[in-house]
Amino acid sequence: MSAAIDTWIIVADDAAVGGLIEFARMRAGRLVAVVAGRKSVADEVATAGVDRVIWLGQPPEATPVEAFAPEVARLVGEGLPRAVLGPDTTAGRALLGAVAVRCGGPVFTRVSALELDGDRVVLTRILFGGIAECRESVDGGPAILALPSGGHVIATGIPTPVEQVEASPMTNAEVVDRRSAELVSVDLPSAPMVVGIGRGLKAQADLTLIEELATALGAELGCSRPLAEGVDWMPKERYIGISGQHIAPRLYMAVGISGQLQHMFGARDSEVIVAVNSDADAPIFAECDYGLVGDLYRIVPALVAALKTPR
Amino acid sequence: MRVVALYKWAPNPQDAQVDPEGIVDWRRATEALSEYDPVAFELARGFADLTGAEVIGVTAGGSAASSSLARKTVLSRGVDRLVLVADDRLKAADSTTLAAVLASLIRRIGQVDVVLAGVSSVDVNEGQVSMTLAAHLGWIGLGGIRALEATDQGLRVDRDVPGGRETLTLAGGAVLTTVADAAVPRRAGMRDILAAAKKPVDVVELDDLGVPAAHVVVSRVATSRPDNAKRQHVIVEASEPAAAAAQVISALRQRNVL
Ligand SMILES: Cc1cc2nc3c(=O)[nH]c(=O)nc-3n(C[C@H](O)[C@H](O)[C@H](O)COP(=O)(O)OP(=O)(O)OC[C@H]3O[C@@H](n4cnc5c(N)ncnc54)[C@H](O)[C@@H]3O)c2cc1C
Repeated sequence: MSAAIDTWIIVADDAAVGGLIEFARMRAGRLVAVVAGRKSVADEVATAGVDRVIWLGQPPEATPVEAFAPEVARLVGEGLPRAVLGPDTTAGRALLGAVAVRCGGPVFTRVSALELDGDRVVLTRILFGGIAECRESVDGGPAILALPSGGHVIATGIPTPVEQVEASPMTNAEVVDRRSAELVSVDLPSAPMVVGIGRGLKAQADLTLIEELATALGAELGCSRPLAEGVDWMPKERYIGISGQHIAPRLYMAVGISGQLQHMFGARDSEVIVAVNSDADAPIFAECDYGLVGDLYRIVPALVAALKTPR
Repeated sequence: MRVVALYKWAPNPQDAQVDPEGIVDWRRATEALSEYDPVAFELARGFADLTGAEVIGVTAGGSAASSSLARKTVLSRGVDRLVLVADDRLKAADSTTLAAVLASLIRRIGQVDVVLAGVSSVDVNEGQVSMTLAAHLGWIGLGGIRALEATDQGLRVDRDVPGGRETLTLAGGAVLTTVADAAVPRRAGMRDILAAAKKPVDVVELDDLGVPAAHVVVSRVATSRPDNAKRQHVIVEASEPAAAAAQVISALRQRNVL
């Protein structure tokens, strides 16, 4: 098949690469998974209908997956695929960075499409946090992509045999302690209603006000990045934006959020956006359906009251 | 000991203009120190104050990266000296090329123990350069760093990983990217700014670094401006909160959003 792109997928000790496999499968070439990390991860990836699974062997308990970067790069360099996909996590970027150095080309991010145009690989990606988009052809080496890795793989019949190769990870980094954090289970991406709160909130205690609004709407609570990574009033799993969660609700109500593009990137797929902000010039008013200009401390209780009034 | 703190002097795309063909006009977007880089400076400074290490700021950017404003901004935030390349040919350079330039700058410095960087830059915002740099140097690249300290054998770092935290010991070089809230960056006072003017700056010519050209050839075929969802833009001046709130809620009900 001429219109196929042989693709290698880099797995960084996490089998949740369903999105990568789905993205690769659209091009219908041979699909090879290179798995750095535990055997259980390789076994799970092997059920996903890939053509080959290359596993770098069981790492010592204390070895971080990033230590496999040179070995992953060596294997990809020998295999010479047309495309290499990996997760856009820090571990993924460490492995892909080594592949990029080995192959002498860049890592592309935020790629929405990859296709063959004649004999050239052409990709479509967005630039500078979404203000522009471009199409680029890639010659002389693989197109290396860091992508959202997606959810769990979907098992498809008989697993591919796992081929173990000799690999020696770097030995100068050792994990000496692991602590699991309290699991924050929140599914913002599929929430039909989301209320987002930003730096317009003056104190953590005032979150109760915003929670009342979320309850009245039946909405999940999200926030801007500074509230989660800055003042730490909200868990990291709840911030929306290019570096955080992407939401696509029927309604997004953004309260005390200025609407910088890094935040809005994660909210643009909302069907309707309502903004509450005291600054009439805040950028969010250029990107909303309904804007309320005023003090959130007066407007939020009014919204709650209006929601409780029968139609 | 020597600690390198990477930084970028970059414009905020929020202030750029984009025409319908997707051509970005940066003229209204003034360059500044990228938002999360001072977090890495602060961790580096804290480490250096305890260990007597030197903190060297390193960047590879366009010509503005060598302006006196850029130098003072960085040198007044806990950085002891700078080693930089400022060449407009680097403005559109990809992550692997930038990382190669940074790697040769770092090699010129001599013995460097650790490289710290912010999580990602305000303009390109990929978080890739630091991890690719690690590969160029043959070092391990680790993200999510919250804290680092010196030990007899090397370094001990704490980092965020999916589902929790990890502590690692490191021997030999490493490139570490910090989380956005790893430290609260200092504000530069008048004394810091005055002192900054006296700190050494080593400006290196790009051509003197002999960075080889990339193998992979990337050619731009087309650009465009993404068309974001059309919005209604009904803006209500809410001096009467009750009336304004009722108006918006009723509009949402009419559209069956609620
Ligand atoms: C590389 C990079 C990546 C980033 N990624 C993200 C990301 O993924 N997500 C994200 O959110 N941010 C991200 N940011 C940060 C982003 O640029 C903004 O700084 C951030 O989104 C601003 O948060 P905010 O709107 O809550 O705060 P601010 O910008 O400070 O806005 C607060 C708003 O509240 C309003 N306000 C104040 N008081 C009141 C009141 N009483 N009533 C009503 N309104 C009031 C103000 O008018 C103002 O508009 C990123 C930045 C960089 C550099």
